[in-house]
Amino acid sequence: MAEWIRFIAGSLFLLIGMMIFCVQLFGVFRYKYVLNRMHAAAMGDTLGISFSLVGLMIFAGFQFVTLKFALVILFLWCASPVSSHLIARLEVTTNEKLEEYCEIREDMERENSAEAKKEEEI
Amino acid sequence: MDKKKEGKEKAGRFQSWLDGETDIYAGVMETRPQKEYEPSPYFLRQQEKDRRRIAERVNNVEHNKEYRFFKRVYRVLAVVFALSFIVLLVMAVSWLPPVGQAANPDNNEVSARYIENGLQETGSVNIVTGMILTYRAFDTFGETNVLFIATCCVMVMLLVDEALLKKQGADNDRKYEPKNDAILQGMAFVLCPVIFIFGIYVILGGHLGPGGGFSGGAVMGAGLILYVSAFGFQKTQRFFNETVYKTAKITSLVMYGLVGSYFYITGANGLENHIPLGLPGHILSGGIILPINICVGIEVACTMYAFYALFRRGGL
Repeated sequence: MAEWIRFIAGSLFLLIGMMIFCVQLFGVFRYKYVLNRMHAAAMGDTLGISFSLVGLMIFAGFQFVTLKFALVILFLWCASPVSSHLIARLEVTTNEKLEEYCEIREDMERENSAEAKKEEEI
Repeated sequence: MDKKKEGKEKAGRFQSWLDGETDIYAGVMETRPQKEYEPSPYFLRQQEKDRRRIAERVNNVEHNKEYRFFKRVYRVLAVVFALSFIVLLVMAVSWLPPVGQAANPDNNEVSARYIENGLQETGSVNIVTGMILTYRAFDTFGETNVLFIATCCVMVMLLVDEALLKKQGADNDRKYEPKNDAILQGMAFVLCPVIFIFGIYVILGGHLGPGGGFSGGAVMGAGLILYVSAFGFQKTQRFFNETVYKTAKITSLVMYGLVGSYFYITGANGLENHIPLGLPGHILSGGIILPINICVGIEVACTMYAFYALFRRGGL
């Protein structure tokens, strides 16, 4: 009985993870603009992979490998948002026609231009 | 007397022309500066006409019969090619023997010997590592040399002079690259030590479980690349500059060569091997596997970082 519960719970988590991966793939190919695509891709990298790994953790049971899975989730949750942030920042600094794609708050714009000026001075 | 002098003078003039001191044509021949080329207005008009005509013909995709024919044939051929390739691959897979049968050709005396005697002869719990670093250590030495030669070739092509690098400075296309990003720096501050420790763990645990020099070195190289992209080259050069790179790389390769050749010579001539195998499962066991893993790890980490640095900046 316990085995069955574990199997069902693990496969449920795995299936949810796979579904999120499918949504991610669809989003990456459906959207045309960088920031939208990045949002879709980052969703799979954090949520999808953590659901899949939680499913695998349930399958593995309580042992040393489970801890390693947890560390992998922690690492990905640290690394993936940072890389998304870097992509977004590169897009903001390099795209000259940014306001065509998204709204920019005025104080943000000023901050960016000040930053760019500072970098140019350096 | 007079003639002799003249001859001497001629010889002297010839000598000075040979040395490139004087130009014997200067002042003797009439020289005129070349006129700048000016195309006639007729030619210009004709050129413009031609350009427009060609552009119209090229950009007129809808009424171009050849292009449409080519596009259709291309699509059909692409589908046919992909389908035939899929069929070929599936047929090849279907002819493969099923996994795990005793009659399969990979179940020969070589793998049987590795599995039966591998633990006693190499002292490594992980049979794969024991195999590639003792029975096939010569092959792995070649692979490590390939890494070394590859970085040498990339250096020959991409290494830029240090003075030129400083002169270029921020004047290239990476001017607008996000620099000194606070979020990336904070994350790298947390992650870099963890990545380095994990890389060292993978290298040192190569003979006890999955891992080894190649994978651990790749992990450490990735950590170095993360550090560089977060904190920049100037901070990285305080602990990893070209001198450190050369020393580490050459030392590890020579160490591998020495340990490896000791192992080949004693093994090939049936001599006694003085490297103790240790207790299988302990960290100090496996004979030559642990030192070789460390050497390979340093080599791979240096290679990964050098590729990144050379392609990005043209220097280490």
